[in-house]
Amino acid sequence: MENKKTKSKVLVNHPDYKEHQEPWIRMVKIDSVPRGIPLLVRVSALLGAMLTGAIIILAMGSNPILVYISMITESLGSASVLRETIRIAIPLLITGLGIALAFKMRFWNIGAEGQIIAGGVAASYFALFWNGYLPYPMLLIVMFIAAVVAGGLWGMIPAIFKAKWNTNETLFTLMLNYIALEGLRYLQYGPWRDPRAFGFPIISPFPAEARLPTLFGVHIGWIIALLLVVLVHIYMKKSKQGYEISVVGESVQTARYAGINVNLVYLRTMFISGAIAGITGYVTVAGANGTISEEFTGGVGFTAITVAWLAKLNPVAMIIISCFLAILDKGSGPLVNSFGIPSSVAGIITGLFLFFMLGSEFFLNYRLVFRKKEGNRE
Amino acid sequence: MKKVLAIAMIALLMLALIAACDNDSNGGGGSSAGVTKDNIKIGVVHIGPLADQGYTFNHDLGARTMISNLGLNMDQYIPKFDVGVDPANVTAAINELVQEGCHIIFATSFSHGFQMIEVAKEQPDIVFAHATGALAHTPDAPPNFHNYFAKIHQARYLAGIAAGLRTETNVLGYVAAHPFAEVISGYTAFYLGALSVNPDVTMEVIYINSWGDPPLEQQVATRLIELGADVIAQHSDSATPAIAAQELGAWHVGYNNDMREAAPDASMLSPRIDWSIYMTFAVKSVIDGTPIPADWGEGLSSGAAFITGLNDAIVAPGTDAAIDAARNNIINNNMMIFRGHLKDNDGNNAQITDYDGNVIFEFTDDNSFFAESTTTSAPSFNAIIAGINIIS
Repeated sequence: MENKKTKSKVLVNHPDYKEHQEPWIRMVKIDSVPRGIPLLVRVSALLGAMLTGAIIILAMGSNPILVYISMITESLGSASVLRETIRIAIPLLITGLGIALAFKMRFWNIGAEGQIIAGGVAASYFALFWNGYLPYPMLLIVMFIAAVVAGGLWGMIPAIFKAKWNTNETLFTLMLNYIALEGLRYLQYGPWRDPRAFGFPIISPFPAEARLPTLFGVHIGWIIALLLVVLVHIYMKKSKQGYEISVVGESVQTARYAGINVNLVYLRTMFISGAIAGITGYVTVAGANGTISEEFTGGVGFTAITVAWLAKLNPVAMIIISCFLAILDKGSGPLVNSFGIPSSVAGIITGLFLFFMLGSEFFLNYRLVFRKKEGNRE
Repeated sequence: MKKVLAIAMIALLMLALIAACDNDSNGGGGSSAGVTKDNIKIGVVHIGPLADQGYTFNHDLGARTMISNLGLNMDQYIPKFDVGVDPANVTAAINELVQEGCHIIFATSFSHGFQMIEVAKEQPDIVFAHATGALAHTPDAPPNFHNYFAKIHQARYLAGIAAGLRTETNVLGYVAAHPFAEVISGYTAFYLGALSVNPDVTMEVIYINSWGDPPLEQQVATRLIELGADVIAQHSDSATPAIAAQELGAWHVGYNNDMREAAPDASMLSPRIDWSIYMTFAVKSVIDGTPIPADWGEGLSSGAAFITGLNDAIVAPGTDAAIDAARNNIINNNMMIFRGHLKDNDGNNAQITDYDGNVIFEFTDDNSFFAESTTTSAPSFNAIIAGINIIS
């Protein structure tokens, strides 16, 4: 302490001090943004991404305008591709909702991937081994409950350790992903391997009784997703428990002072967060895929973090963001067939959009202040 | 309240959107009636990207050759690249080809089978052909679903001759994909080819549990060379094992592609499949309205399996002649690859089993032979024979 003081005194007395007192550039938090500005910033971010992407597309020898038009028509242009786009958006939306609950209380749940796997494996167990013992809709309901409980419990493990020993939940949830994945791999390469595959490590397709019905050509996971949007919105905004999550997120000390049982909130919220991710596992295995494999999550548990973050944890905004990401994903896939643009480059273009959109959020929250020139100083 | 209303409206909007578009869902789908050379459309679901220079490259080449063989236009071939093995993506890709009016749809990976059968049941007028699969002869499969493969074990046997003549350490190394019949049958044929010209040879096998993983393939190849192997062969999708062999001064036998360019001092030759033979046959059958067998598998005799890129500069003297003699025996004398009193590593009779462990064939004496890939196009030989050591 003493040392620091003398040091700063020396600095102040130094002839160059004024030069260095202000950094060349610094970030200042913006308190309020005028109306209309956010829209302007976001639209420019989108244009910026499209322009940068256009340079890459030109470098690949294609016409950027045709490529962008193709991305729209290949994701929204016909009923069949639109259904695929919605199918891709469903797991992103559901998982984003689950992650948002944890993030709201500043509990960094990077473990949605593992929670999806836990839910998917639990649902698959009943799909593979209980068909015939349960009447038709019962099997799907039991699978749903199993996925919710398994995902919830898997999500609760890091919360227990956080509550008891104050462990770092970011690392803990991340590590649990790998444990869940290895467990699934064990099942796929071992006891759940399909006998009809002649030794190839693949798990059998589910019987028809364990498949989610479709409505308008998409499995009813989309209805579950929209219902969850409403439920999570009400839970976060209208319920006492949702309020407690916000308080814990703002300040653990304040929450304790207000008599909130912080540990209970951790446990309860992480159960719900994991359970919602478990539902993603359920709709993916029973709806989209009709089976389970080590790749079945498709990295949704990580992409959904972007969904939650871009939507500022707002459930309604998550519908839009997840659909937008699904459009990018579905739209960029066929570029390799129609333009010869490799899927790796298509991935770069998708990444550019995310980069610009996440970057624009920075400029809505902060402004950059440059050091004024010597002569301009008052 | 406003927000709830907004959600409800968005939900309603999405519903309306899907419902409005739903009308065309029953359209599409080709009918076998009225298919001609000029209007036939051919869809192919490729597992990987065209740039892999291996499996997908080779299968795409087969499709393009088929188009030119039959005098069709390139735009009648609708490929879907890089579809992968995710079931929902596979189903979506097949359905898109159905929507685009394809009359015959090929799928290139073993893992595409279950999804293809599901769509085949919904689209009885479209012909479906699934490479390397083993479901067409099961009761699950509808009549419009077919399997095809090549007797690649014959070509691997020929490649084994080059390896057996070349090795100095008498240890071969094999980078193997998955531990099941297709792969086991391949490396056993390769080993038997080597054994036919070199009775002292043994082989080390390491599985990568994937069809292709370039860094892992290279690591495994390096490990095999450290274990004493001086010829590396592979059943995996990329050319990295060839590069490892080149760097460490070993020899190499490729797969699916001439790998001399990647490893000019290591790559001796590659067993390869010419998919155009079947694709030409199947597409022509659809145009002519003639039936296609549930299982199709041809080998050296029709050129469906062959060896490519024989590197005269580095193969042992006499390799060419030895390969020619064996090829002649296989084609003209119907020589079986899996023949004789094959034993396992414990000295017992080698046995071919089904998944549940039931023995479906046993090599009991010198006259035993197993006619691989005759009842089903997918291989079934899965015995681990003496001389082959699996490293885990």
